[in-house]
Amino acid sequence: MIEVLSSAALATVQDLGRTGSLRWGVGTSGAMDNLALAAGNLLLGNALGAAAIEVPVFPFKVRFGEDCAFALTGADCAARLDDQPLLPWWVHQARAGQVLTLGLPQGGAQRGSRAMLCLAGGVDVPEVLGSRSTQLRGAFGGHEGRALRRGDVLRAAGAGAACKTGFGLVPPALALPLQQGGVPAVRVLPAAEYMGFEPASRAAFWAGEWKITSQSDRYGYRLEGEALRPIAPMELRSHGIVPGVIQVPHSGQPIIQMRDAQPSGGYPKFGTVIEADMWRLGQAPIGSRVRFIETNWEEAVAALDEVRAWLDKVARMVELHRGAPAARR
Amino acid sequence: MQDVALQASQFAAWLADTDIGLFELRTPHGSLRLGRQGDDIVVLPACDAEEAAAVEPAVVRAPSVGVFLHGHPLAGAPLARIGEHVPAGQTVGLLQIGPLFLPVVTAEAGEIAAMCVAHGLPVGYGTPLVELHPL
Repeated sequence: MIEVLSSAALATVQDLGRTGSLRWGVGTSGAMDNLALAAGNLLLGNALGAAAIEVPVFPFKVRFGEDCAFALTGADCAARLDDQPLLPWWVHQARAGQVLTLGLPQGGAQRGSRAMLCLAGGVDVPEVLGSRSTQLRGAFGGHEGRALRRGDVLRAAGAGAACKTGFGLVPPALALPLQQGGVPAVRVLPAAEYMGFEPASRAAFWAGEWKITSQSDRYGYRLEGEALRPIAPMELRSHGIVPGVIQVPHSGQPIIQMRDAQPSGGYPKFGTVIEADMWRLGQAPIGSRVRFIETNWEEAVAALDEVRAWLDKVARMVELHRGAPAARR
Repeated sequence: MQDVALQASQFAAWLADTDIGLFELRTPHGSLRLGRQGDDIVVLPACDAEEAAAVEPAVVRAPSVGVFLHGHPLAGAPLARIGEHVPAGQTVGLLQIGPLFLPVVTAEAGEIAAMCVAHGLPVGYGTPLVELHPL
């Protein structure tokens, strides 16, 4: 058992997402940084998509009620286990009674915004429509369909089991870097209404820096930059949309749909952030700037292959290390 | 698998054609240490953990082949500073092996005397990495 000790605003149980239910109007949810979730699970020997706790607001504190291995990935949050500082992107062993504290994200240019706390065996909450992710809009999934609160008690499916700990990973922000003009970047496919925008707006979208405003959360990121102007007003009926879609409302300031996006919308679609880069956006802090790189279908598929290849390599190396006999000193 | 001691001559013949200075093999059936003396490969006495500690009490060695890092790449500061007192079991560096980081850990308490290898250099198994003065 682990008990949440902090007010834990907006911390939620997430897995890789509830795919396949969009046709019923059920959004995908899932970890904003799916790579951090998958990597943390690999470190623990868990299934890739085991549920974990996504923490977007700090400090965050939990007490372990029993011995339990855990992995910290995502944003580096100056974590401590009791008084012991912990390395980021690392698998650790907690003893019964120890308190884990996550502080403010640090790391300068590499600073992320969401920490992932993965537990041995995964967070044991019921599966709903094939996923353990919290669906905030529908108030189901995860832990009682809501964000965590002080006093909540969660169970780790593999608590108490022996688990090799004390090693870590090169974070994907370093292993798979992507920048444009010194600014973190994501790749974007032009979407259905792209050509309906003025040529100058289209050029400005790729050339400019976009600020992630404070009106940004798991539902969507509202951006601030040079307004995107349509050639003629576009009125569309609501239609299906997915995380990554960049909509342009009348203000001309784009909105990127994130993991908790509603499944339909009617604003013109300027582009779509490719699936392989959604984790980068998931870690982009409020107030930071991001740039967009135009890409095409082939490159988007290749980028996803690159992410999968990195995870495969991590899985192989971690498996080798977990299977190796303990080092003699 | 037969007792590894019986295979010593075979291993020695292979080693003779390499530039390996020390060869150590541990299996469930026994262990074997071969060393180079001039052009000859000779069998060395088994070296158990306590004996190694008695000979070199103050050196932290590489637990694997890898790239030695003084600190985590996400952190600005090194894990250990010269003159710092560290307890046994303290992580004083990292070894990067592809996507993996292994900790370089002190076997005993001490004062950090020297970093033997620069940040970011590849090292072999057993390379001395950090020197400790006993407290």
